[in-house]
Amino acid sequence: MSDVKRPVLDVRNLHVRFRTSDGIVEAVRGINASVGAGECLGVVGESGSGKSQSFLAILGLLAGNAEVSGRVDFTGTSLLDLSETALNRLRGSRLAMIFQDPLTGLTPHVSIGRQMREIVQTHLHHSVRDADRLCLDWLDKVRIPEAAHRLTQYPHELSGGMRQRVMIAMAMLCEPVLLIADEPTTALDVTIQADILDLMDDLRREHGTALVLITHDMGVVARMCDRVHVMRDGEYVEEGSCEDVFYRAKHDYTKMLLEAVPRIILTGHPAGDVSTGQPMPVKTVLQVRNLCVSYPMQRIWFNRRRELRAVEDIGFDLHAGETLGVVGESGCGKSTLARAILQLIEPSSGSVKLLGHELTTLDKQGLKNFRQQAQIVFQDPLASLDPSMTIGDSIQEPLRVFEPGLHRSVRTRRLAEMMERVGLSWSLVNRYPHELSGGQNQRVGIARAMISMPRLLICDEAVSALDVSIQAQIMDLLRDLQREFGLSLIFISHDLSVIWKLSDRILVMYLGSVVELASRDALFNRPQHPYTQQLVSAVPVPDPQVERKRHRIKLQGELSSPMDAGARLRFLPSRRTQLATDYVPQLNERFPGHFVAEHDPLEQLLV
Amino acid sequence: MLTYALRRLLTTIPVLWVAITACFFILRLAPGGPFDGERPLPDAIRQNLAAHYNLDRSLVEQYLIYLGKLLKGDLGPSFINQDFTVVEQLMIGLPYTLTVGGTAFLLSIVAGISAGILGYMYRNSFPDYLLGIVVLTGLVLPNFLLAPIFQLIFGLKLEWLPVGGWGGGAAVNIVLPVVVLALPHVARISRLTRASMIEVMHSHYIRTARSRGLSKASIIWRHALKPTLTPVVSYLGPAAGFLLTGSLVVETIFGLPGIGRYFINAALNRDYGMVLGTVIFYMILIVVLNLVVDVLYAWLDPRVRST
Repeated sequence: MSDVKRPVLDVRNLHVRFRTSDGIVEAVRGINASVGAGECLGVVGESGSGKSQSFLAILGLLAGNAEVSGRVDFTGTSLLDLSETALNRLRGSRLAMIFQDPLTGLTPHVSIGRQMREIVQTHLHHSVRDADRLCLDWLDKVRIPEAAHRLTQYPHELSGGMRQRVMIAMAMLCEPVLLIADEPTTALDVTIQADILDLMDDLRREHGTALVLITHDMGVVARMCDRVHVMRDGEYVEEGSCEDVFYRAKHDYTKMLLEAVPRIILTGHPAGDVSTGQPMPVKTVLQVRNLCVSYPMQRIWFNRRRELRAVEDIGFDLHAGETLGVVGESGCGKSTLARAILQLIEPSSGSVKLLGHELTTLDKQGLKNFRQQAQIVFQDPLASLDPSMTIGDSIQEPLRVFEPGLHRSVRTRRLAEMMERVGLSWSLVNRYPHELSGGQNQRVGIARAMISMPRLLICDEAVSALDVSIQAQIMDLLRDLQREFGLSLIFISHDLSVIWKLSDRILVMYLGSVVELASRDALFNRPQHPYTQQLVSAVPVPDPQVERKRHRIKLQGELSSPMDAGARLRFLPSRRTQLATDYVPQLNERFPGHFVAEHDPLEQLLV
Repeated sequence: MLTYALRRLLTTIPVLWVAITACFFILRLAPGGPFDGERPLPDAIRQNLAAHYNLDRSLVEQYLIYLGKLLKGDLGPSFINQDFTVVEQLMIGLPYTLTVGGTAFLLSIVAGISAGILGYMYRNSFPDYLLGIVVLTGLVLPNFLLAPIFQLIFGLKLEWLPVGGWGGGAAVNIVLPVVVLALPHVARISRLTRASMIEVMHSHYIRTARSRGLSKASIIWRHALKPTLTPVVSYLGPAAGFLLTGSLVVETIFGLPGIGRYFINAALNRDYGMVLGTVIFYMILIVVLNLVVDVLYAWLDPRVRST
């Protein structure tokens, strides 16, 4: 704990109410919080808890129908009493905010340089040259390569991690005394998340900035925060030091939140617990061999047509009742792989066999029959349901397609059974998707996929959009269904802890290729490939003592573009120098059942 | 950027060709011809005329001859005003049409966008409602009704402006036709701008800009205006088309010597050459304006530029 100083921000009895057509909605009900210089305050809660609204209110950034009351003291100034002009003098200079989605959070039509310069000129009244120097300085500090070039670029030309760094640099330009970060790493991949968190931690130490971190991720809190507030329904239900909240939680909600987070437990034994090994006898449900998917890119004038190789030479077997986790960073081709297996997109080459039948050569009718055996659940539960169909109609639609002769009463019976099975009350049958919560909609998606009794279910980021408590429920449901129906699962996620909880074996993808394929325990306890090692070391662990002592592996370079042929050799730079950029790293079986792509020794790849 | 513009230009060639072909054959499908008057002409004269204008050949041959000439920039002779070629006649009317049409186009853009921004800034208060009413008037009254009403009020009752005529190009003479032409577009553009700006001001990057302490003026001017204009710019291409077709009517009502009048006369008289020539000219103008709009689009949005 930091020594008792006068807090930078002191919030007393803050209320936020919204006037809506349904009457007044109370979003924040009398919260108290304070944060001192160099301190990091965490505010955790699930969606809709009011955690963002309370801090947007402090900065006067809420919509016009909001009413804010209470007392907010910021270094001696009462923020809620300030005029817009007076507030503008503080916002962006002494008090700055970082938002979740760096793509929509930066003006797409204005270059990075102009957006940054504008802030410096507004608050510090620098000349153009001084302003540019300050901007370059900060871009360097947030470790953006080729800073001068970045100034001329537009937000869409940068990667997600870069954009978030720009966002941080913009917030830090005038060296604020208070930085409020609203889910700053939620939209980012784990390795980039780790970098960004390190960066914010460094800034806090070096500049003594007070940091408020709003997040839903207990792992992030464990890593960053000195003190934590747990928020639910507009109120703080628990507050205390990070250790108190994690090890001595008093409120049931806090305990529930902590229990819901999947924890990766490392045993140190690559073989894992032998008694929970695969059930005998092993029957292969899905066999994928040399699967490739490439997209033609638009040709510019007369250049050679280029191809984006989204999935390259992937092969694996999936047994009955087994779960294969597919993990990788955004853009690595996980979803493309799922779609190619289901023949939702046409693979360029390779073979996919379900229950011994080749799928890539099937005609339309054959494909239709096969789809009964293989179903998919998508990430966004609301967007993947037809908004004009009741959920009852959505769930039974596959029955109409696959078993058109079925009598209505049988269909209704099976619908009722399935809804009960996935935990949906029968009273919801005539509701529409927008009337349901995200978790309920995802149950509908699962029921729809399961009603035709498939042998294979692919879950493409099926729990990523859900709050942790709901996430845990859905994962339990999937596991129960699997046990009950002997279902084979392919579970795709960027979240390693979710993958850990569900998978028997794990396939790690990087730029369309497999870098490592092994059983869960082997992969987590004895990761072989540097990329896997980096991923495993970057996952936030919801335990402050473990989290702060951890050693993180940092490799050279960011996630490269799949268009860049040389990027494939990021882990094999020794081959890159030999003029052979086409070389594809080979997959070798290093231990029985443990496949690893060729790579150079880890020491040569570290930053 | 240049590549983009060139590529767009190349794709307009087949569009033009399809349009020309369609016009050519539709015009010939219509009953009657340029030499069908009240009294039928003697057969000998008729045949001579037909031979002179290639009307005795098959339709396909005529079409090919027309296309061949067109490639050399020759729109052929007028069938009624035998002393002039189509190009000559167009050139006589063009300056008038372009002056009125161009001014109306600029007025639509400037007034429309300004009214839209004002509408946003004073949304749901008195100035916004007033603008809404003016705008609605412009939308619901067709130009052939609006023009005489304006002529009555400003020309005859108040005697501020002349009722019609070119008047040697005096500014007062073109005020009424320009306003009548522009009003519906001012209306649409201002509504588009207002709605678009309301949406843009709710976006996350505007919230970021506000959190950086930028003033309202610089947020609207630098961060919100360009994205606001994107849907407005998409409307400008079609708007140019509506302006041109509107100018046919307005020129006739105000007695302006633009090409609109020729077009209507030519259509009534089945003057194949003249009608086709005018249509082709309008088409090229619309295609060019749409191209300008696309380039403008790329200028507004850097994401369009890079694809």
